[in-house]
Amino acid sequence: MSTTQNPPPPVEEPEEPTNRPPALHRATKWLERPYARRIILISGVYVIAILAVLWFAIWVLNSSGGPASGIMAEIATTMIWLTIVASPLMGFTVATLVYSLFGWGRVGGDEPPMQENPDIRTNATAVIAWITATSLLAGFLVVWGLVELAGITAGAYGTVPANKQQGFVAPINVNVTGQQWVWTFEYPDLGKIQSDVLVLPIDRPTYFNVTSNDVVHNFWAVELGIKIDANPGAITNTGVTPNKLGTFNIRCAELCGLHHAYMETKVQVVTQDEFDSWVREMGGGKTL
Amino acid sequence: MSSATEVMRPEEVPQPKQYGKPGGFLRHTNIITGTVSGIVLAAIAYLVAGALRPPPSDENALALPVGLDPQFAAMYIGWTIGLLLGIGAFDGPLRWFLGHDLTHEDAEYMAGAGQGKWRYFKYTTDHKVVGKQYLVMSLVLLGVGGTLAMMIRTELGITWMEVFNPNVYNSIIGTHGMVMVIAMIIVVSGPIGNFIVPIMIGARDMAFPRLNALSFWLLFAAVPPLVSSLFLGGIRDGWSVYQPLNSQAPVGMLGYQTTIIVFAFSTGIASVNLITTIVTMRARGMTWSRVPIFVYGIIGSSVMGLIWFPMFQYSQILSWSDRVLQSNFFNPAQGGSVWLYENLFWLLGHPEVYVIVIPGTAALMELTTVFVRKPLFSYKLAIAGIFGVVGISGIVWAHHMYMTGFAPSANYPFMLSTELISIPFGFLVLVLLGTIWRGKVWTRLPMMAVYAVVWNKVVGGITGVWLSDVPVDQYMHGSMFVVAHFHFMLMGAALFSAIAAIAYWFPKMTGRYLNERIGSIGFWVAFAGFQLCFGSMFFAGLQGMPRRVLQFDNAFNLSNWLSTIGAYTIGIGTVIFLYAIITSWRGGQTAPMNPWAAQTLEWTVPNPVPLENFKVLPVVTTDPYNYGVPDPYASQVADVGDETSQKVSVS
Repeated sequence: MSTTQNPPPPVEEPEEPTNRPPALHRATKWLERPYARRIILISGVYVIAILAVLWFAIWVLNSSGGPASGIMAEIATTMIWLTIVASPLMGFTVATLVYSLFGWGRVGGDEPPMQENPDIRTNATAVIAWITATSLLAGFLVVWGLVELAGITAGAYGTVPANKQQGFVAPINVNVTGQQWVWTFEYPDLGKIQSDVLVLPIDRPTYFNVTSNDVVHNFWAVELGIKIDANPGAITNTGVTPNKLGTFNIRCAELCGLHHAYMETKVQVVTQDEFDSWVREMGGGKTL
Repeated sequence: MSSATEVMRPEEVPQPKQYGKPGGFLRHTNIITGTVSGIVLAAIAYLVAGALRPPPSDENALALPVGLDPQFAAMYIGWTIGLLLGIGAFDGPLRWFLGHDLTHEDAEYMAGAGQGKWRYFKYTTDHKVVGKQYLVMSLVLLGVGGTLAMMIRTELGITWMEVFNPNVYNSIIGTHGMVMVIAMIIVVSGPIGNFIVPIMIGARDMAFPRLNALSFWLLFAAVPPLVSSLFLGGIRDGWSVYQPLNSQAPVGMLGYQTTIIVFAFSTGIASVNLITTIVTMRARGMTWSRVPIFVYGIIGSSVMGLIWFPMFQYSQILSWSDRVLQSNFFNPAQGGSVWLYENLFWLLGHPEVYVIVIPGTAALMELTTVFVRKPLFSYKLAIAGIFGVVGISGIVWAHHMYMTGFAPSANYPFMLSTELISIPFGFLVLVLLGTIWRGKVWTRLPMMAVYAVVWNKVVGGITGVWLSDVPVDQYMHGSMFVVAHFHFMLMGAALFSAIAAIAYWFPKMTGRYLNERIGSIGFWVAFAGFQLCFGSMFFAGLQGMPRRVLQFDNAFNLSNWLSTIGAYTIGIGTVIFLYAIITSWRGGQTAPMNPWAAQTLEWTVPNPVPLENFKVLPVVTTDPYNYGVPDPYASQVADVGDETSQKVSVS
């Protein structure tokens, strides 16, 4: 296939070992090349830059309310770890690009340049190293993601029986209904009181049964880290245990027609006493 | 007549009878007759369907509650068939029924011989004409989509008032999305795939020249319904038009559905044609390991289009049926399912991203070898990467549906497949890096685009790593973060590589150099604006700004202002680049046959490329990557993993 001729084997000094040198030795030799260390250095600089942007992203996340539930805190942790793990490959890629422009040199002009670059067709070590690195990265993402998802799902859907957990508190059920373009929250266990603002007691597990009266909406409480579609003719579930007092946003995250942009409301995370008095105020029959 | 045992000389081959002048019916058809016939038939269909529609009546309780949908559906069908009739698309089958086989003169007329510029406005079968038609069409669509994008950013940048009313705004975002998706699907495979690929593999034309013309004119038929929908209530529901909004929308939605249905036919036909051409019409000696890598990219993209486009088409045929025929595929009140629509939609919706990205990436690999003057690094890894992506592309779609709740347990396997597809995609990055490795780069515009694209892919990649994780998607889904991420992939990676591809093959397609100075200014201005526009959009998403909204909390103002400034910068850069393309095409510096000293076959034919490309078909004896000189490091025994050193050490 290739017409490239491998150069004739150079005459070697006889005392040279006939076997291939060990990998460590070859790696050390490779690092002696003028470009190798510089590319690693630039990779390092770029990794630091990525982590700085990551820090800024997390700062943005915290400054806009911050995690108000264990789920959201876990999501933030995941973002940090995924970025840290992925950044060396990203850094190496960018470093190679930068070095190729400023290290290996460049030619301008209108005429095609002379052929003076090495005719490297492939390099087994590089290919193996790259595939290993990307597979390890993908494997890490998969394992991390599956474990984390299983954990969050267990918490949200109650597959870990709540009464097995320490400090058991009975969960609150909330029926969430989306319709163009308002949210309605119903507390079936609390005398079926209805509200257009979601009020939740702090540190109580809450289960949401989400549905829609018309088109697809998406129930998104940003700082609580929960999001699920509200589908007509079907009920979807999610759950959360809020752990921070305050008022947070609920938005619709699925285009639902004319006033989609205005389909938002608030979630108030309050203390248990405040919650009980709110329920009484709303005419709720009993409190849990 | 010679006997069957003797070899016939070409002029002795019996020719079919020539009926009338060469070209026959096609002498009288062009874009004008096609458009007129389309409009006339659309009007007739609209009126007939209107007359047949049962009048609404209170007495007849069984009367179907049909609105204007059947009438407009008939109108769009009339337009499509009328256009094809009037342009002469049915000439081939008709001849076949009548037994009037094509003579050589007929075939030459159909390929556009002797018709000057008019051949671009006719049902012309020459692949080079079709390629240029696709190029202009994709540039026009990109212009329309870009203008709509400017309107979106204007609305979002002017935070203190509503510039558009919500209906208009929602129509703008839906139309922007769909126009851009169509433009991006065709922007590399259309112009470069049609114009360059047949020459690149040493063929005289595509395998099915008339189907080639049909695929373009079907695309041409598909665009007006999409534009017309803006005036019939608009596509107010985003480019994905989830059900049941789709069924509630005004009749303009039929325009969207017609466009998708017709465009899917166009893509299917084009894919079959490209695959058949590449499989059967390669030059002698061009074995599968000598095929230029760009051709592999086109095959991969065509295979995905062929397999997955029908899913999108079904979703729209069923939606069309729900509107026009009162079926209930997606109507939850009557036992239908909105999740069925979402699944059918994303079954194409995600592979479509690879349909868009793969040809552009393959074009980058092709031109990197030329501008770095090094062989393609690990050619076979590149092929494995392309087909790895093609293979996995079909089982990742539901990562768009993590948050729909359609099957909570499905999130696990789809997260797995989504994260695994990064491995073959990584092969392609390694091939690019390895090709650049230790090379002195010839800094021309197409090559500089490689740097821009890989940078954008890195940003899109790292944010994609976040989005592929279900819990993180629980935070990001439906937010501006997603918008920024996929613009980094679809625009930053795919459109910028399409620009590189167009700049690289411009001298062959037009016979002139692309004005590099103006083109580069436009390119880098657009690139800088792009980073600002979509870089700051990530932060709006992180703060919790949903997508597809026209008003939002004040907390998001800053990042939206920056995005809008960036968007206008992109606009300025694009206009400059477009100016470079138009002026260079009309009066640029004429280019020699092989301006880049490249080794693929398309650079061995003269400018302008003659009809049927090659006088004598080439014979290929090697792959097109014989650049470079023996590696100085290769003689070192201690070299890392070099094949040469392995051979040396065995003795």
